[in-house]
This record gives sequence, structure tokens and C-alpha cells, in this order.
Amino acid sequence: MDPQATIVLGKAIGAGLAMIGAAGGGIGIGISVGGAVMAMGRNPDHTATIQTNMILGVAFAEAVAIYALVVSLIILFVLS
Amino acid sequence: MNSFWNGKRRYVALLLFLAGVFVALVVPPVIPFIQLAGENLPAGYNIPFTDIRITNTFVAAVIVWVLLLLFTAYIARRRPSDGSEVPPGGFYNMFEALYEGLMGFIGGIAGGAHFRLIFNMFMTIFLIVLLSNWMSLIPGVDTVGFIHPHVKEKFDPETQEYKVITTDGFEIYQGFLGISYVNGQCDWVSPADEAAADAAALAAAETEAAAAQQTQLEDAAYARYQAEHGEHGDDHADEASDDHGDSHAEGMADSSAATAAYDEVLAARVAEKQARADRGCYTGVALAPWQDGYNGDKDAKKEPIPLHPDPSSEEAKRVPWVVLPWVRVASTDLNMTLTIALISVVMTQYIGFKALGFGYLTKFFNFATLFKSPLGGIDVAVGLLELIGDFAKILSFSFRLLGAMFAGAILLFVMSFLVPILPWPFFILEFFVGAIQALVFALLTAIFMNLATISHHHDDDHDDEH
Repeated sequence: MDPQATIVLGKAIGAGLAMIGAAGGGIGIGISVGGAVMAMGRNPDHTATIQTNMILGVAFAEAVAIYALVVSLIILFVLS
Repeated sequence: MNSFWNGKRRYVALLLFLAGVFVALVVPPVIPFIQLAGENLPAGYNIPFTDIRITNTFVAAVIVWVLLLLFTAYIARRRPSDGSEVPPGGFYNMFEALYEGLMGFIGGIAGGAHFRLIFNMFMTIFLIVLLSNWMSLIPGVDTVGFIHPHVKEKFDPETQEYKVITTDGFEIYQGFLGISYVNGQCDWVSPADEAAADAAALAAAETEAAAAQQTQLEDAAYARYQAEHGEHGDDHADEASDDHGDSHAEGMADSSAATAAYDEVLAARVAEKQARADRGCYTGVALAPWQDGYNGDKDAKKEPIPLHPDPSSEEAKRVPWVVLPWVRVASTDLNMTLTIALISVVMTQYIGFKALGFGYLTKFFNFATLFKSPLGGIDVAVGLLELIGDFAKILSFSFRLLGAMFAGAILLFVMSFLVPILPWPFFILEFFVGAIQALVFALLTAIFMNLATISHHHDDDHDDEH
């Protein structure tokens, strides 16, 4: 096999595998937003506070997915 | 002016849309060239009086600073000096509403004795990150820049020398009105690769021809052997000389057969080149390669990098070209995000020391309860974890912003490539992502700063947020 093709193949597979980590972030965001929406439905007076905390939690959960994204971006565009 | 535009803006929008369709038809979209590190501008664009080359993300950062300075000057000038409650309206009014909203927001989170300092840090980081994130929405950012030949050198550890990389890049072709375009349909083949392929084809043809000749010679020898042994064996010398002449003649015949084999093998290579030429793709000719500053030896860094003189010349069409944008969003460079993250974390420590004095260090090195309580060892471990966590904060801050904004930039590239006339929904998405990432960065800074000002000793019953 062409060594260049092997490198591209390995990079593609590695980047795809690295993005599995994004699933965790998705689950976390879903749980936190679900809980926040339920809380907002029960007491709409506290919507502002709940929303702030929700965005903060979503950002934390999203950060994990973004780490996975950064790893796959490094695999794709920095490794050679 | 305003009355003239009433009801006519929609036609302007429609016209721009049609112009987008037209441009997408005339200029085929090009597969984007993606690089994680900020690209160096060519030589001559150094920081004045140094050898340090400016990157295009640095240009964006400078633009953000200038915008912020102008913005501050404007706000300071428009602010009512007599303390009147009536805002002047317009942009100032909008900013005042935003400012008051955020002030109340941070007051709810970190409204302690250090509110002013925390809010100043929050607002500074928020505005810098917000402006640099939103720069990706401006047309021309990331897309307009130097067109330069994409030839780079790379160190080859096997041969211990620098090789020219020629795998990426596209050819340029002449468009209308004397404007040159990058042709995304043709991959570029370097002159070295082309010569190597030619040499390989020649070598293959020659071995093929030699094999054909060898086969024929063997056949001839076998026939001669048969003839010698089939007939009677006297007059050896004459026979031999005759045979020699015959074999020579046969050799001539053989060489024509070998030429046929030679041509047959070469024809494939010729057809391959012809097919390439039929597609309108050129083979490269050797030009002065684009030398990137960081490779080669150290002295080469000071050498000026040759910008190609004239991209529309006939020769220049035959090298691979990529666009080096003048301005690239600053948040897509790790240097920018890491700097802001370092400032944020260092200022957090500063506020901690300011609020708690040297007692702040007991947050990290908590030996007070080691021998007093049975669970004292856990406190020590928690303190050390906090120390590690503060270093992890630098990484998480910088990579979160970098990842979000770089992925957004790639999203815009790829969408512009796939759907050249309609990437605007993704611009709206990027608008929100940029705002949310800026808010998250600044908000996390404010929260960590507020945590740093809270003493650990007041709440020994372990009900803080960890």
C-alpha cells in the first residue's frame, strides 16, 4: 500500500475515533437542559437564575466534547 | 437618504443574492486549505526593527485592540459628564443597557468586596473575546489575502535533508478581467514528481525492451543451435562466421521489436500526461519555492521570503497556489486563547492573595488538619488537587475557546465550499457561538475569581461547591 495513503487512512480513523468523546458531551448537555427546562416549568419566577446555571453547566459539558474535537483537529491538521 | 432606501433594501438583498449565484457559477469554489497554527505573513511584514514575522491572527488581534480603544474613547466622550440620568440614545444607550445588565448579572454571582476588580476583568475579557470571535462574520476575513505558491520544505529524517513538499495545492487559471483564480479541479504535480514519473516510465520501458530483446536472442540462439545440430557438423569456421552475420541481422530485427515494446510501455505514460493536459491541468515548472521561515537552518529565518512577482504571468500559472488571508480570527490561534487564559488564571491568584493574604496558600497546601483529625490526609490531597486543577484551568480555558472558534471557522469554510451561495444560516450559528463562548470564558473567570476570595476556614462542614 502507498505509504501516503496509509497515513491518510490512519489519520481519518484516528480523528473519527477521537470524536466518539463528543457523545459524552451530548449526553451531559441533554441531561442538564432537560433538568433546567423542567425546573423552569415548575417555577417560572426563577427562570433567569436557572438559565444562567444551565448555560454554565452546558458550557462545561460542551468543553469535554470540544477537547475531543481539538484532539481530532490536531490529528487531522497538525500531525503529518 | 433614509426615505430613499425605504422599501428598497429587499431589492438590494435580492441583488446581492443573485450576485452570489453568479459569482459561484463563474468562480468554482475551492477546497479550503486548513492550518491550525496562525500563518506567517511573508517577509517585509515583520514587526518593525525585528526579525519576528507577523501572523495573520496577530493582525486580527491588533484590529481588536484598536476597535476596543476607539470604542472606549467613544463611550467616554458620549457619557454625560454632569451625571444626568437621561442617556444620549443610540449606540451608547444600547451599550449602557448591556453594561447594566451584565453588572447586575455579575453582582449576583460575585457581589462581594472585590466586585469592582472582578467585574473589570469580566468585562475586559468579555469584550476582547466577543470582538475577536465576531470578526469571523465579516466578509473578507479568512478569505481575502495573499495568493502564494504552496510549496514548503520539510525535513526528511531518512535522507537528512530538506525536501520540497508538493502534495497539496491547486493551480491558478486566468479568469475574466485579468483576474486570476485558483483552480480547484486540478491537483498540482511538481516538476520533480513529473520527472521521477518520466524516469520510472523510461526505466520500465527499457527493461521491457531489454527483456523482449533477450527473448528474441534466446529464440535465435535456440534456432541456430537446432540448425547446427540438425545439419552436418563440418566447416565449423564458415558456419560460425555466417551464423555471426545472421545473428547480427537478427539482432537488428530484434531491436525493432524491442522499440515496439518500448513505445508500447511509454504510450501509457504519454496518454496519462495527455489526459491531464486535456483536463486543462498543467504540470509544474520549477520556480523559486515559497520558503517558510521556520524550516531550514536558523540563518534562513532572516532571509527575505520571495513573494511571487506576478500571479497572472504564464509561468506562474503552473505552480500550486493557496490563499494566505490577511486577517484570520484571533481566537483560532492558540497563542491568543492561551494568553487570555494565563491572564485570567494569574489574576485569579492575585485576587486570592489580595483577599486572603498568604492564608490563600492554605487552599493548596492544607496541612493544618493533617494531625488533628483522622481525615486530615484527605484535606492535603484535596489541596494538591486544587493546585493541579488551577493548571488544568489554563488548558481548559484555552482549548475550549480555540476548539469552538476553529471548528466554527472550518464549518464556514466547508459550508462555503459545499453550498457556495447559502452559508448564511451558519453565520447566524457562528454569531451565537461567538457570543456564548465569550460569555462563558468571562463568566468562568468571574466565578473562579469569586471562589478564590472565599476563605476555606469558615466552612469546615464541606458544603462548598466541590
